[in-house]
Amino acid sequence: MTAPIPLKLTVNGQPVDLALDPATLLVDLLRGPLGLTGTHVGCDTSQCGACTVLLDGRAVKACNVLALQAAGSAVTTVEGLAPADGPLHPVQEAFVACHGLQCGFCTPGMIMSACGLLAQNPQPTEAEIVDAIEGNLCRCTGYVNIVAAIQQAANTMTGGAR
Amino acid sequence: MNAPQEAMRFGSGHAVRRIEDPALVRGQGQFTDDVNPDGQTFAAFVRSPMAHARFGAIDTTAVLAMPGVLAVHTGAELVAAGVKPIVMAPALKRPDGQPMAAAPRLALAHEVVRCVGEAVALVVAETRAQAKAAADALMVDYDPLPAVTDPLQALAPDAPRVFDGLADNVCAESRYGDAKAAAAAFERAAHVVRLHLVNQRLAPNPMEPRSVLAWMADGRLNMRLSSQMPTAVRGGVATALDLHPDDVRVVVGDVGGGFGMKTGLYPEDIAMGYAARALGRPVKWQAERLEDFLSAVHGRDLITEAELALDASGRVLALRCDSIANVGASAITAGVMIQLLIGPWVTTSIYDIPLIDLHARAVLTNTAATGAYRGAGRPEAIYTIERLMDAAAHQMGMDAAELRRRNMIRPAQMPYKTAMAQTYDVGQFEKILDQGLALADWAGFDARRAESQARGRLRGRGIATFLEWTGGNALVEQSTVRVTPDGFIEVIAATMPMGQGIATSYAQLAVDVFGVPIEKVRVLMGDTDRANGFGSAGSRSLFTGGSALQVTARKVLDLGKELAADALEAPAADIEYSAGRYTVAGTDLGIGLFDLAGRQGEAGFQAQDSATAGAPSWPNGCHVCEVEIDPATGSVQVVAYASVNDIGRIVSPVIVKGQIEGGAVQGIGQALCEAVVYDDDSGQLLSASFMDYAMPNADGFRDFKTAFDTSIPCTTNLLGAKGVGELGTIGATPAVVNAVVDALHAAGRGEQALKLQMPLTSERVWRAFQAP
Repeated sequence: MTAPIPLKLTVNGQPVDLALDPATLLVDLLRGPLGLTGTHVGCDTSQCGACTVLLDGRAVKACNVLALQAAGSAVTTVEGLAPADGPLHPVQEAFVACHGLQCGFCTPGMIMSACGLLAQNPQPTEAEIVDAIEGNLCRCTGYVNIVAAIQQAANTMTGGAR
Repeated sequence: MNAPQEAMRFGSGHAVRRIEDPALVRGQGQFTDDVNPDGQTFAAFVRSPMAHARFGAIDTTAVLAMPGVLAVHTGAELVAAGVKPIVMAPALKRPDGQPMAAAPRLALAHEVVRCVGEAVALVVAETRAQAKAAADALMVDYDPLPAVTDPLQALAPDAPRVFDGLADNVCAESRYGDAKAAAAAFERAAHVVRLHLVNQRLAPNPMEPRSVLAWMADGRLNMRLSSQMPTAVRGGVATALDLHPDDVRVVVGDVGGGFGMKTGLYPEDIAMGYAARALGRPVKWQAERLEDFLSAVHGRDLITEAELALDASGRVLALRCDSIANVGASAITAGVMIQLLIGPWVTTSIYDIPLIDLHARAVLTNTAATGAYRGAGRPEAIYTIERLMDAAAHQMGMDAAELRRRNMIRPAQMPYKTAMAQTYDVGQFEKILDQGLALADWAGFDARRAESQARGRLRGRGIATFLEWTGGNALVEQSTVRVTPDGFIEVIAATMPMGQGIATSYAQLAVDVFGVPIEKVRVLMGDTDRANGFGSAGSRSLFTGGSALQVTARKVLDLGKELAADALEAPAADIEYSAGRYTVAGTDLGIGLFDLAGRQGEAGFQAQDSATAGAPSWPNGCHVCEVEIDPATGSVQVVAYASVNDIGRIVSPVIVKGQIEGGAVQGIGQALCEAVVYDDDSGQLLSASFMDYAMPNADGFRDFKTAFDTSIPCTTNLLGAKGVGELGTIGATPAVVNAVVDALHAAGRGEQALKLQMPLTSERVWRAFQAP
């Protein structure tokens, strides 16, 4: 192990200031020292997307980013979308309303990919939604209700009719 | 709307939001690797890089000296400590009459490894990184032995034996039916179709890989893991480590998908239990995806020579199947039974087929064991008969739906005993067919084909009409229902949630009985200290566990009546119940359900009971798929998919639709893209990551038309429900492949189409156009 290196960043709005092995992946920082276990790991090769988080507003796979690369950045995980005792974020709400999850393991990554998309493109087409979550694998739902949920969330967040 | 009616809107048959979801969408799920007890250590397995090899004593000295390393366990150590292998149940026999046989399934390999990825040692260290580094550093001196991964090659007389002392590599054999009578039927048949069919090996790939956390508490071994069958794990670990089952507690939190892969006991579970006992600290193993590809069970892997004999009118006279199942090296009982028993049970499907001649052999190879994967034997069998039906229709120039219709078992024949000695209680297959054809606009296909043609695409249409067996033949289930003083109906069950939403369905059934809001129902599962049973597999949970819940909930309600009579000082016969309140008939005297629980002390009041379904349930359906093929590239797109499904009574409409459609996408995966591939020369697994194993992603087909006919309830369980979890997967694979074959037929490539094997990748389809 290399000597720990200091790291400062913001996670879910909270400042984080610690020192860690420079080889630490962002996902391991989140799940380990920070205890944010909503971000999941489903593969070894950056295909499944269960670890997706927002890094300065952009959806990234946290298994593919060194923690140190997030220095000075703002990271948002699924736990940071809505207060634990408050109402759900519109994307979370839409996943529940549309049965967009079954086992729920891929769900945090799907939700974060959706949030990343909607931040850049508030009214995506179906094709744009599919494109945005192509890097997120789900084995349960067949993606049918995931795409529907993201469409519904987009409607809600842009004050749509539904 | 008044309160009771409001509550009943969440009872069975109504679309409700799942009670599982709020925690999962907030990232507050409790998957095994999300739980981190104080003092936790981490385990990593050392796995064989060879398909077959002998190895000597492993020197662990250097690795034990590495930073953070706490222990290194080897197979030799476990054997010396008396750890027992997982033993097969000798349910079937080999051709020579000996009990079925496979290589021993050890917690850690001892002296010989028999497939790539078999665990040979377990390293425990303070951190995950240290454990992995140490596992990488452990030197094992392998002496390679000849290996065989292909089941047909494994049957050759001079093939390497998967383990010493075997006369051949046949694990077990089964024969059903009347070979002589079937042969005579083939003699007199007007039409005979023959197909060589490969149900390729698949990886179940739940998104959460296996994980185990083991620790000692109060002298007992505790295990938290991702499993569909906690009780089986408890019993298996106890047997292997020579413990009493009461000395083992298995806890399961959230399970990130199962699909059959997380049924039963894994060698790694035993090794983890052993390591935790040896160390006295919590030990955690989180499988990497690679490890699941290498050492979790695979599904399917069946090669079938299938023949159908028909008379001139298209009535089937006989069915003949001869199959080879590749069950791996350390084969497991379930994997063998799935191909030699369970699949064959539905081989004649919904058709009135008088004669069958079925022969199946399970063959050992130097590959990972096969086991349960969504459908487990039924997809293979239904694929076989549905491919034969289409081939016969093409050969006879008959409409594929019409040929099926002529052969369907009629409602008047129910209960119907098949040539495979299975008894169907109910089924109106022609009615389901008619609805399926209407939903798919079967009659309007020619216009759609012409429209595709105009865009340079070849359109094909495929149909599968089928049923399946559900219940795992584990038809008894128990339930505990408690009314708590803090205001909840608590349901305790031994089935396991793994994404199928069973907690929500149970809650809806509890609402039916108690008439309280669904928020007032808590469902507890996954703790062998509270409930034990078969677990969740074979689409059994709702119709067994739900029936038990219904019985128990009514018993609790009756118990409450007696308690209310005491409390209200009235005869029990005068006590009425409605929507959370007991009242004395004709008065306004009453007591709330939860207040009544409070008067009974902290535990409230409860009852435990069980229910036994009389037989498996037989869900069925008509699935129709249309595809477009780009002849220039061979690329296949599913462009339409309509299904009508008979799953009896429906408790959760939203959930069952999700099961059918999500399941169908898995079936499409087998048809078009998925395959586990071993290199025949080296025995290496070539498809060992999501880069190499292609699963459907969001870019695939999603526009399903899905309908249900609820008018034909199952008659052998209290709920009238039929299992739904595997139906979509079973129907989709033949419907998609039949559609591709149909498109190729129309393009004059019918002969080539019949030789195509799954997955129908663009390369394979393109080659079908190039072949002479």
